[in-house]
Amino acid sequence: MDEFIDFVRGGPLGPIKKWGTRWSLWPVHLVTACCGAELAHAFACGYDGERIGALNYGIARQTNLIIVEGAITRKMARVLRVTWEQMPDPKFVIVMGACGLEGGLFWNGYHLVKPSDVVPVDFFIPGCPPTPEALLRGIRQLQDKIVTGEAKTSATFSEIMLEQGRKPRVLPKSPKKVSKAPAVLVNVPKQVEWEFGEKLVEELKAKIDAKSITITGKNRIAVKVERDYIPKAALKLRDMGFDHVKNVNVVDVPNEDKFIVEYHFSSYSVKELMPVVVNVFADVPRDEPEVKSLAKIFPSADYLEREMHDFFGVVFEGNPWTGRKFLLAPDAPEYPLRKDFKLEKEVYVR
Amino acid sequence: MEEYAIDIPVEPPKELRSLFIPIPPDYVEDVYKSDDFLVLVGPQHPGSGHMRLIVRVKGDIIQEVIPDPGYVHRSMEKLAENRLYIQNIPLVERPAIMDAPNFNLGYIRAIEEALDIEVPERAKYIRTMLAELGRVGTHLYDAAILAVFMGHTTGFMYPFGLRELICEALVRVTGARFTSSFIIPGGVRRDVDDSTFKWIYDMTLAMERRLKSFERIFVKNPTVIARLKDVGVLTKEEAIKYGVVGPFLRASGVEYDVRKVEPYEVYDELAWDMPVSDAGDGYSRLLVRVNEVGQSLSVVRQCIKQMPEGRVISDQIAEKGEDIRGSFYDSLYDLVLPSGEYTTLTEGARGTIIYSIISDGESNVPYRVRIVTPGWLYLRGFMESMKGERLADLQAIYGSFGYFPPEADR
Repeated sequence: MDEFIDFVRGGPLGPIKKWGTRWSLWPVHLVTACCGAELAHAFACGYDGERIGALNYGIARQTNLIIVEGAITRKMARVLRVTWEQMPDPKFVIVMGACGLEGGLFWNGYHLVKPSDVVPVDFFIPGCPPTPEALLRGIRQLQDKIVTGEAKTSATFSEIMLEQGRKPRVLPKSPKKVSKAPAVLVNVPKQVEWEFGEKLVEELKAKIDAKSITITGKNRIAVKVERDYIPKAALKLRDMGFDHVKNVNVVDVPNEDKFIVEYHFSSYSVKELMPVVVNVFADVPRDEPEVKSLAKIFPSADYLEREMHDFFGVVFEGNPWTGRKFLLAPDAPEYPLRKDFKLEKEVYVR
Repeated sequence: MEEYAIDIPVEPPKELRSLFIPIPPDYVEDVYKSDDFLVLVGPQHPGSGHMRLIVRVKGDIIQEVIPDPGYVHRSMEKLAENRLYIQNIPLVERPAIMDAPNFNLGYIRAIEEALDIEVPERAKYIRTMLAELGRVGTHLYDAAILAVFMGHTTGFMYPFGLRELICEALVRVTGARFTSSFIIPGGVRRDVDDSTFKWIYDMTLAMERRLKSFERIFVKNPTVIARLKDVGVLTKEEAIKYGVVGPFLRASGVEYDVRKVEPYEVYDELAWDMPVSDAGDGYSRLLVRVNEVGQSLSVVRQCIKQMPEGRVISDQIAEKGEDIRGSFYDSLYDLVLPSGEYTTLTEGARGTIIYSIISDGESNVPYRVRIVTPGWLYLRGFMESMKGERLADLQAIYGSFGYFPPEADR
């Protein structure tokens, strides 16, 4: 069998095989991130990648090329590897986008891996996103590599010699100012002209047993309640005409040893309430982060709660997915959005 | 017909663990016992998008769909907590790069609301124009992807040909095809000259003509109608219950558009309609967006016609000169938002984009940025709409929602 492979590759048929591979580089369709938008442009009528023999193909079993389109997450890395392993020999990999090189805009994200750690990469195409021209140029370079056997960069720059005896540059300080003891308030009152809002606040005060109700802006009301009272408040709001949850948010405040759990309610069915967003929030102690889930009352809150459980480890009692990861990869770090999970800091380098 | 029970021991396949399929083994056992099938769609599949759908089918009728999102979760919210406010501008437009102006606008509006920055009229018009160009581009993108899902190659090529015009317009205005980061606190990066406006004006007219032939080729195509009509129906009640957003909500008969209910920029000064349909099926979701493209092109033309003269950056940001160029970092790096929570709603192409910035009042990095994207909000409704449909219709429903995983996962 090995003899046969050697014959096909190096024998008199070798050039024909190379020629065939070169002009039929159909990349497998594995869209991994947003660079896929430019990839689609490269194979649509504007740039027409098909004229150089490349066109996206549905399954990996009949392709030689995989184009990694941007960021590879921990969850996607496994899929990339599986797809790459499915491809027949020879296998080529082109990585497009800055995220695929060193992470780009997301370089210290907790959910990102480098594609070069997962599969052997032949060509990188920088850019965020790279233009279709750049992608097609990458494919042309790969075609050259198939013939000549060596990967060459298509962009060359003239070399500039470093000056000898130059003084070391003084690096600037980081412009960031981060408060050591931040005071986090989500219900800072704001003076706005909003008559309906004042009426609504009165109505809310009569119906909801709240600790405080403030207008935080035009069309924004913040209602502070006890954490066990959230479902009751939600039921009261539902009777008033608020029919969906727009947002579930958790804020981690380690120096006050609490989480702030917020639900943003709004309405689709009552015309006056449509622009209003009522933020019902409660303080939850950090060592026992449990609140009752609203997924049964408001199905629109279900996935948002699951996501917050992934990020902060806040337990939403009654949510069917509690205890399992929904958005994050199984091997992702635990509760990455808590403040005590630190990311690698960016520094200036020479 | 009599049913025969066959007593075969069932065990969930061992790959469940090694492939990290996030469903409990007893669910799989239950599926096996009740004579259903589990079909795993994705993450690598011939359509576009990269999420896994775990579909439970009886015969070929879909009983339940469990999504497995997060394949493109790039930890945007955590990264945003560790960067300056202005460093986050390019970051927050990465969820959906074809809709970058809308994502950009929502974040900037939250900052402006916090700092009470008055934006000059001309900048507002330019922003509105960009946002509408982004909306047209995204709707064309989604129509093309819908065509891919249904195996209609011409339907893919045609909108992408038209999208080239949108990209060209964005290049002429901002310098980038997709991710322009053109909208900054207080206005826009630079002024746009009249010849560019003229080009965009003519482009919208040309596009409208070509859209007519696209409608003939794709939208009114009997095959497309047969694949989409009465498929994946979401009634008005369901759409409200599951919190669907954007054109998909309007396709179910709810008259909700953030641009109408809480107008921002100059939307209340322009004349445009909100297309609404009562059917709630896949075809009406396509039609609503096709009509919105026409409305958006008209808004772009109105913006260009009514474009006022003046500055494009607020004097609260750039005191000297009328341009931020050259002093961008110096005037904006030290933004400190007053303490509090600032929530803005923006109508992106696929629906409501929510930015919630929480500031502690002392740092020049946000304490927390919550980004809720339309894709993430309508995911639940999307899953529910597939129940009771045939497995072969899954692709058509997927395409009709224009689900874009990078946007949903952030």
